[in-house]
Amino acid sequence: MEIDREDGRTPNQLRPLACSRNILHRPHGSASWSQGDTKVLAAVYGPKPGTRKNENPEKACFEVIWKPKSGQIGKAEKEFEMILKKTIQSICVLTVNPNTTTSVIIQVVHDDGSLLPCAINAACAALVDAGIPMKHLAVAICCCLADSGYVVLDPNKLEEKKMTAFAYLVFPNTTLSVLPEVEGEPVEHGIITSVTHGVMSVDDYFLCVENGRAATASLSAFFRKNFQQSQGASSKAG
Amino acid sequence: MSSKVSVSPTSLIDQIVVPGDVVLDLSNMTNQTIKLGSGLRQDSDAISAMRAGKFSYSKPNKYWVESSHKRYIPRTEDHVLGIVVDYKADNFWVDIKGPQIALLPGLAFEGATRRSIPKFEVGTLLYLRVVKTNIGMNPELSGTDASGKASVFGPLKDGFMFETSTGLSRMLLSSPTCPVLEALGKKLSFEIATGLNGRVWVNAAAPRSVIIVANAIMNSETLSAAQQRIMVEKLLAKISD
Repeated sequence: MEIDREDGRTPNQLRPLACSRNILHRPHGSASWSQGDTKVLAAVYGPKPGTRKNENPEKACFEVIWKPKSGQIGKAEKEFEMILKKTIQSICVLTVNPNTTTSVIIQVVHDDGSLLPCAINAACAALVDAGIPMKHLAVAICCCLADSGYVVLDPNKLEEKKMTAFAYLVFPNTTLSVLPEVEGEPVEHGIITSVTHGVMSVDDYFLCVENGRAATASLSAFFRKNFQQSQGASSKAG
Repeated sequence: MSSKVSVSPTSLIDQIVVPGDVVLDLSNMTNQTIKLGSGLRQDSDAISAMRAGKFSYSKPNKYWVESSHKRYIPRTEDHVLGIVVDYKADNFWVDIKGPQIALLPGLAFEGATRRSIPKFEVGTLLYLRVVKTNIGMNPELSGTDASGKASVFGPLKDGFMFETSTGLSRMLLSSPTCPVLEALGKKLSFEIATGLNGRVWVNAAAPRSVIIVANAIMNSETLSAAQQRIMVEKLLAKISD
C-alpha cells in the first residue's frame, strides 16, 4: 500500500542533502546544512576559557544559541536549544578541555519542516569543522506518523502539519572499525536523543525508530563523503 | 543493513577518518609500544578517532590524525607565536590562540635574573616554546630552548603577522621546504617565523616583499605543490615588470 506525498517522494525517501563547511570567516568552525528547502547555518566558537555559572568546571561546557529566521526566540526555540545542548554534550568528549566553554550558534535560514534534526546535523558538522573532540558523530532524522499508521521520513512543513505525531530521533553514525565484528548490537543501533510530539502507540514508535535507523546509514555515508572531499582537497597541498 | 558493508577494513592508515572510527585494535598489537598523537583516544583495547582527518602513521610507532583547524590546542615542545596581553608581577600572559591564555614567566629568558626581567609591552609578538600543558592549568611558555639558550626565541620586531590555519603552518614547517617558500626564496629575501598555532610572521627589507610573501602563503593553503610554484611565479612576474 502506498502513501502519497505532496512532492512525490516515497515514504522512506529523504530530501536532497547539501552540506558545506568552513564557510564563515570568523568562527572557528562553521557549516551550512540543508535538507530540501530547510536550511540551517551553524557556527562554533571555542573552546573559550572558563565555564558559566551552574556548570561543572571539571568538564567542557557547551552553550547553544538559537537564532530564528525572524522575530524573538520563544519557548519552542528555548526547547530546541536545550535538546541540542544535551545532544552535543553526549557526543563530545568532555574531559579533554575541562573548564572551557564552546558556543554553538544556530541560524535558521529557512524552515520547511524537520528543523531540529537539520540543526543537529548542522551543529555536528560545524563541531567537526572546529576540531572539537568527539566520541562519534550524530545523525538526526524526523519521522512522522500519518493518520493511517504509516511512517514518513524527513517531512516538509505541509506534511508536518497534517501528521498526527512525529518523532525527532538522533542516532550515532555508522563507523568504520578495524576490530573484528563482535556479537550483539552494533554501536549505531544506540539512540542519543528522542523527542516526540503528539500521540503514538508503542508499536508505532518502534516502527519510527526502525525506519529512522535505516535512513541514518545514508546520512552517515553523506557525512563521511563530505569530509573526505574537503580533506582530500586540503591534503593535496601537504 | 548497509552498515555491514563498511565494517572491518584491514587498515585505515592514510584514509580519511571521522570521529568514532576505530582505527587500531590493541589486542593484536601486543609487545609493541605505540605513540598516539592528536585526535586519537583510547577506549580499553580500541583506539578511536576524535577528529576528522587523515589517519597517519610514521615509523616506527607514531599514529595521529592529520587535520587543520582555526583553533590551536597547546602541546609541549611546540614552537608558537604569542602576543602579550597582560603582565602581572614577573609574569606575562600571552595569547597563543589556545583555549586558555598562556603563562610566560619573566625568568624564562636567557640571562634573566630577578633584577633584569625583560620588559614587553602589551601587544608584543614573541616566538616561544610551550613547556607545560597540564590539564586544568594554563599552559606555560618559555623564551629559551631546552638547554636554556635564547637560540631562535624572543621578540619579533617590525615585520607583519597574519593568521592561518594550523594545517597551513604545519605545511610551512614541513621538511623538505614547502614549495611556496622554496619558490619565493629563489627571488626574494625575507625572514619568516611560523608558529604551530597558526600564526606566521614575515619581515623583509621592502614592504612590498612582505606583502607578496604573505599573500602567496595565504593563497597556497588549498593548492598542490605544482600549483603553488605556478602561483608564485605568476606573482613574481607581475612585480618584476
